Amino acid sequence: MNALAPTIVRRRGFAVPQGLAGPVAAVLAAAAVAVVVAGRTDAGPSVYLMNLVGQAAVYGLLAVALDLIWGYAGILSLGHGLYFAIGGYLIAMHLVTVAFHTSGTPPDFMLFMGWTELPVYYAGMDMLGYSAALILLLPALVAFLFGLVSFRSRVTGVYFAIITQALVYVAMLLFFRNDTGFGGNNGMTGFTHIAGQPLSERGTVAVLCALSLLAAAAALFGLDRLVRSRFGHMLVAVRDDEARLRFLGYDTLWIKLAVWCLSAVLAAVAGALYVPQVGIVNPRVLSPELSLEIAVWVAIGGRGTLVGAFLGAVVITTLKFLLTAWIPVLWPFVLSALVLVVVITLPNGFLDAGGALARLRRRAAGGEGRA
Amino acid sequence: MSERPRHRPPPWRQLAHALLALAALLAAPARADESYGRDAVVRHLCEAKSEPMAQAIGALLTAVAAGREEAAWGARIVAALDGKRLLCAPAGPRLLRDGAVLRDPVTGREAVAPDRLPNAPFVNLRTRAWVEVATAALALFAEPGGAAASAQVAVLEKQYAIVPETALAALVERQPAPDLRDRLLLVRALQSLEAPSADARVSAIATIAGDPTARNRTLLAALAARPDYAADPAVRAALDTAMAHIDTWLRVGEVGAVLFSGLSYASILFMAALGLAVIFGLMGVINLAQGELIMIGAYATWLVQEALRALAPALLDWYLLLAVPVAFAAAAAVGMAMEATVIRHLYRRPLMTLLATWAISLFLVNLVQVLFGTQNLEFVTPAFLAGGTRVVADFMVTWNRLFAIAFAVGILALALLVLHRTPLGLFVRAVTENRDMAECVGVSTRRIDLLSFGVGSGLAGLAGLALTPIYNVNPTMGTNFIVDSFLVVVLGGVGNLAGTLIAALGIGQINIVIEPLYGAVAAKVIVLLMIILFIQFRPEGIFSVKGRR
Repeated sequence: MNALAPTIVRRRGFAVPQGLAGPVAAVLAAAAVAVVVAGRTDAGPSVYLMNLVGQAAVYGLLAVALDLIWGYAGILSLGHGLYFAIGGYLIAMHLVTVAFHTSGTPPDFMLFMGWTELPVYYAGMDMLGYSAALILLLPALVAFLFGLVSFRSRVTGVYFAIITQALVYVAMLLFFRNDTGFGGNNGMTGFTHIAGQPLSERGTVAVLCALSLLAAAAALFGLDRLVRSRFGHMLVAVRDDEARLRFLGYDTLWIKLAVWCLSAVLAAVAGALYVPQVGIVNPRVLSPELSLEIAVWVAIGGRGTLVGAFLGAVVITTLKFLLTAWIPVLWPFVLSALVLVVVITLPNGFLDAGGALARLRRRAAGGEGRA
Repeated sequence: MSERPRHRPPPWRQLAHALLALAALLAAPARADESYGRDAVVRHLCEAKSEPMAQAIGALLTAVAAGREEAAWGARIVAALDGKRLLCAPAGPRLLRDGAVLRDPVTGREAVAPDRLPNAPFVNLRTRAWVEVATAALALFAEPGGAAASAQVAVLEKQYAIVPETALAALVERQPAPDLRDRLLLVRALQSLEAPSADARVSAIATIAGDPTARNRTLLAALAARPDYAADPAVRAALDTAMAHIDTWLRVGEVGAVLFSGLSYASILFMAALGLAVIFGLMGVINLAQGELIMIGAYATWLVQEALRALAPALLDWYLLLAVPVAFAAAAAVGMAMEATVIRHLYRRPLMTLLATWAISLFLVNLVQVLFGTQNLEFVTPAFLAGGTRVVADFMVTWNRLFAIAFAVGILALALLVLHRTPLGLFVRAVTENRDMAECVGVSTRRIDLLSFGVGSGLAGLAGLALTPIYNVNPTMGTNFIVDSFLVVVLGGVGNLAGTLIAALGIGQINIVIEPLYGAVAAKVIVLLMIILFIQFRPEGIFSVKGRR
């Protein structure tokens, strides 16, 4: 049964650079301010570029959310796309309702299903405040229920990971159906306004991009404080030896549930920021591939570092963007090679490349064995 | 064959025959079929209208049944009509185009082409039924036990209403195969439903009830709605019992069909999950590339088929069996390469193996896409897997699904044998139970890991082979099975074949049972929720090893 325990390489001397979160968050916040200013004038980055930056920031936020539970609490979710999708679909419902009420043109899926009005659960979705509250509450509720049943029966490690993946897969099948009122196969699109501002305008794009950057900055800064707090130490203790913590008298269930729900809400916020920027949401955000890719960003950047996860997401998605535009066939091979190299030679990700090199040198010099 | 050797009849018989012939000649003017003549048949066929056509084909079939006409001639004429090669001038000559030459349809002699070729009559939807019946019946007359006899009988079954009675009687008599004869008798029963006497109708209804299919059920229901049937209490009662009887059997057949298809799905799941479960039990590693190993097994099978097609076409029918070692070896080789290069380094980090094996699966899918393309592969269905047998009512056991089930049973037996009767199996069980202790007593755990990863992967390859007659084979086929296989492993627990077996059976059956009620997606959702609930009570599967956590 020892194989089931969530073992993660113990870090000796913790070579991963610490204290990067603050500066990176500050840079992101400064960038956000710059983007807003640029959005008010015609100078500076193009709308297209701002859009891309905003999306990259959202992916970074998503990776940070996963790093919080995987890197610190040792809980790997291969289904975090579920919470991302909840946020994305909720904001899409809001935008679709607004577009329907202002223009009077029903969204495509209503025409397709022959409906004359929106389903009941769209009630109130024209209010941004209500939608935002739902974006925070619904993922927390879903995560709480799923976390409760899983953690209570002490499902951990690989078991937990594959159940989360099964969950996101089933959710994808469900959202592919046309009669659910979420747009089915084609998803939802045709958004016009957000908070009264036209989505196509330069200023709005800039604000959305700045909000994404700010959200990422806030998450990096806040979570960095959190993992250094007493609660953060408990998380690491759960990761390294949950049984011992339990014997010491702590109820690990609530620790894990709290961090799990927090991570889910962050992922949902990322989804809610993502969808207005890309202008569409469809069931592909629920595909197991996306959820696995989030874990890949974190692994490549470095688990348990927050900044590493953020940078991993930004670098990998940028690379994917460039390479798929250039030689689409090559990307999967590059990605799989990257994953294998990192997983085997850089167990703590790229941020720890220096540490890995040092260990290698020490081993070559006949020092201590495998870390 | 049905044709008896012809010997010369004894002299007294010859005399009798001559007398009979004379009598027939004398009685001739009184007999209706004396009007039969090839010329009349061709003339009626040329009109290409329902009434004359029915008459012509009725006369033709009756004549063939009585031995007064060759089946071959009839078949040639009907085929010509069907192929628009029978050319008819309204008043002038009728011709049969035979390749480049024109012939007289009646005599078969070559004819001189007129200045303007007449048109071929148009066979419309209603007259087509007659052409079909005539073609099938003539083929059955020519060769009652032919290879296509079953398909020909099926045509008669479909068009039972217009098959001439005398021809049908003759066909029943000449049919050597008992099952085909039963089917022809049923066609006769369908015809006698229209018989004027109540007794004939009642017995026809009973015969039909003996073959409980949905088609016969709708037929009887239609009869029950007709006033002339409802009027006669005896017929009415016979109809009611017949319909009740058919309903019962239809329900039995439905249950059988659901169980069978659930069983075949379960056997696929079992094969896909078995390797996964063994590897998970042994190393705590979930191999996300398991689906791709299945795909590799299927592709290896396809390569064997193509190699046989090129080198030994005579053996092509047996490619599925010849591919067994190839599919196993190909998948096992890929699996062992994975273990030796990647997974070996990650034993202390099972979560990282998830990502590593995912990367491998991504690599394999794309590699196969580049090498073979994204389209579905085409497989020859071997003769021994084509079709199936009807068990009861509308419940068909198809050979390809039965093959998958039998194959799964074979794999189960093989796995049991390896795990419980070989030194390797002993070591695998020991390492699964307690890796450190096994290592202490001298088991080379690294070697066992490598070997069992190979065997687990090979089993996935065999699953791929068994899938080829049922599912589409393409580079992304593996993803369709991987999530269901996870669920089997989660439900079944580790280190126990019985757990995997029962979980596969349960998930397979539940999926298939729920599917027709609420749809395939709902079936998946319900199964997943049931499993999440289930692990509340038994977090480590059905047959978990007791331990404290």
